[in-house]
Amino acid sequence: MTRTEILSELKKVFAPYTTNKEMLDSINDETDLIKDLKINSANLVDIIIDAEAKYDIEIDYDSADKIINVGTCIDLIMEKLNQDK
Amino acid sequence: MISTGNDIVSLNAINITRTKQYRFYSKILSPAEKTLYNQAAFASIPFENFVWLLWSIKESAYKYLKRIDPGLVFIPIKFEVTRLLVPSRYTFANFEGIQTEGAGFGNMPAFKGVITFGNNTLYSASLMYRELIVSVVNRDENLENIYWGVKLIEENDASYQSIAVRKFLIDRLQHILHLDGLVMGKTPVGMPVVLNGGEELAVAVSLSHHGRFVGYSFQLGDS
Repeated sequence: MTRTEILSELKKVFAPYTTNKEMLDSINDETDLIKDLKINSANLVDIIIDAEAKYDIEIDYDSADKIINVGTCIDLIMEKLNQDK
Repeated sequence: MISTGNDIVSLNAINITRTKQYRFYSKILSPAEKTLYNQAAFASIPFENFVWLLWSIKESAYKYLKRIDPGLVFIPIKFEVTRLLVPSRYTFANFEGIQTEGAGFGNMPAFKGVITFGNNTLYSASLMYRELIVSVVNRDENLENIYWGVKLIEENDASYQSIAVRKFLIDRLQHILHLDGLVMGKTPVGMPVVLNGGEELAVAVSLSHHGRFVGYSFQLGDS
């Protein structure tokens, strides 16, 4: 799965939790989940759970510090997908 | 260095079903924290409220410590609530009116906690209404010098929340300090600061919003 494909899927993961829907179409690696997408921190665990289900991976708490911006989320998902190969 | 940290959880905005699932709460609570819920005093408190109570304490502690260590990242399970006392004769109450403010918690029915992160130990106080949970933390066990407030607002979109919580805090600060024209600013890492004529005031502030609730805490410096 490429970074572009993961980015496309991540938009669907973020969609229920962002109040900045306009920005969702133009997110890139630098987009900050809290500052830019206005996702409440209380929903970060939801995003982890949804990403786990979508990619059939497990994100442990040591990895949760990578849920900061879109780029680090993609890095984390790619890392977990490669671990499962 | 003075600091402060607060957090609000709107209980109308949480997903109760998901919160009760192990895969969800295990990313917030450690096994030791989960045993805190087995105290008899928690018998009348739903598990989902317990999870979000601990979340609010942890996020408050994170905000407090991030002011001191700007590089800190919030990983809930690494913040450990080691003690949590339910107020005696606790019963759920509705959040009455539009807003409530205080300095310390006096005789209010506050949940008192101790939370650790690395070598840091902080003390928390939380109020739990039917509609929301609000927490603040402090380095000192005495929270009487912690000013706090909670307000019900008209809308829950991010820009409205942001404007409302800043006005709520500024109004209180101006009243207490007998000042006019205070404005909010941010540090390079996004921590809120209060400016008076362009100069940063010696006051540590923390802001929070969730759903239709906003809240602040602040601690005044010596100057």
